[in-house]
Amino acid sequence: MSGMSIAEELERCTNRCRNMDAPLAARLEALAVDVASLAPDFTEIVERMIARLRTAEVGQSAPQRGEPMPPFLLPDQASRLISLDSLLAEGPVVLSVNRGGWCPYCRINADALAQLSPKVAARHARIVAITPDLAQFNAELRADSKADFPILTDLDNGYALEVGVAFKVPEEKRKAMTAAGWDISHSQASDAWVLPIPATFVVGRDGIVLERFIDPDYRKRATHEAIMAALSST
Amino acid sequence: MEMHQVRYFLAVARTLNFTQAADECNVSQPSLSRAIIKLEEELGGDLFRRERSLTHLTELGRMMQPLLQQTYDAAVSAKMLATSYRKGGVAPLRLALSSTVDMRLLIQPLAGLMEALPGVELKFFRGSAPDVASQVKAGDFELGLAGPLEEDWDRFKSWVLFTCPLHLIVHRTHRLANSESVMLRDLVDERLLGRPYCEVSSRFSEILAQSNLRQAPGDLLASDADTLEMIRANLGISIMPAATQRHEDLKSLPITDLDLEAPTLLYSVAGRQHSPAAAALIQLVRSANWKQLLAANEGTAPSL
Repeated sequence: MSGMSIAEELERCTNRCRNMDAPLAARLEALAVDVASLAPDFTEIVERMIARLRTAEVGQSAPQRGEPMPPFLLPDQASRLISLDSLLAEGPVVLSVNRGGWCPYCRINADALAQLSPKVAARHARIVAITPDLAQFNAELRADSKADFPILTDLDNGYALEVGVAFKVPEEKRKAMTAAGWDISHSQASDAWVLPIPATFVVGRDGIVLERFIDPDYRKRATHEAIMAALSST
Repeated sequence: MEMHQVRYFLAVARTLNFTQAADECNVSQPSLSRAIIKLEEELGGDLFRRERSLTHLTELGRMMQPLLQQTYDAAVSAKMLATSYRKGGVAPLRLALSSTVDMRLLIQPLAGLMEALPGVELKFFRGSAPDVASQVKAGDFELGLAGPLEEDWDRFKSWVLFTCPLHLIVHRTHRLANSESVMLRDLVDERLLGRPYCEVSSRFSEILAQSNLRQAPGDLLASDADTLEMIRANLGISIMPAATQRHEDLKSLPITDLDLEAPTLLYSVAGRQHSPAAAALIQLVRSANWKQLLAANEGTAPSL
């Protein structure tokens, strides 16, 4: 053994996967493989949670292609209130719902979105990310991923619930996360242990969803090919 | 989970009656029951024991009720705010501040509010913590910002925004000014400017009393502006939150054996409908990057 704690090992894996010269899906997959070998028990708990969320069809009611995206007015990492309407006034929006900067998959995703940002801008569209974490943590995630897009705080997962992507973290997952050092009650300033399932909505200028990507398996995120394909339909 | 499922769950949890809850929610009882079963599937257990006239919450249901209420309230508030922002218009906001609240820390959130809602009309109150409590309780002011309130009213909703360690503030020519840190015994024989308006001042007095230190006669000031003016004139020293305005004439010194911090909380009243401006400010001050704001005010990193 290297003598590193699981958290340190995981940090190393996250950085390795994040910097891989590979599509996002492959980077996320590589991390999932690392986690499964580092912490097989944790992975079993994750699989059980995902199976339950799939059975309960969590996220299925979220706005889909052709439906309006509910408006929002949420604070960004620098205490500015950002509205969906003001973003749409500039062009289509790629709305990426994330769990928070504590989540290694979200960090890889944010990093990849930052790389995609110029291509999105070339389509006169823009990216905006949302997490339930406080601005302090979103500011860290933004700096860490060198993102040029705002990261908004969805306090107590209010918008996530409205949109239909919020879920209650099961008790065994809560315990496993706490043991691994992921105490979301600190970053969210809430004891509710609610998280969004990661989702990406590509929203046209008229506020209508062009495409949505939702997977209760938080290790999977919208591919950049799919995001760009949705934007090219505008 | 979906908003309507949570709404139905909360209605049954409140009424303990599926028929009455369905009426309240304007749905048929079978639809309400189906939605709750779906929610139970997701949560992995029954939320209610369904008995003909004695429906009650299970352990899981009891545990979920406050958590889901919080998430549901957040969704209702987020939705109301976004909708009202779309409509535009004038929005009044009445905000009560305890005299210990440093306005400079609120500038960034207030700027965010005024930029997003240019029609907002702010009305401020300044007073002691008990005054803030009674203004908010009476509904004359919608939100309050203060340290811990003595008043124990179960309808107060509060959020700790940040916590600041207490430092010794002295004039730069004071004999202690060049110390890295001080201890409580260093305060003996010093002219201590008391801040009775501070929410944690009584706690500080207790600590001093327990330390068996004989304190020289002190003075009682009535506001932080006054206290700072006295220190700037080197007429005394005081114990103040570390994030208190830095001035070139003042030095802020940690007190190594003082285990006391001053939290600042946001207060509102449970069950009262918030104005859009209040909902926006709640979001801004709860989410704000206090670590950064305090550090900017103080010049050093605070403990959060």
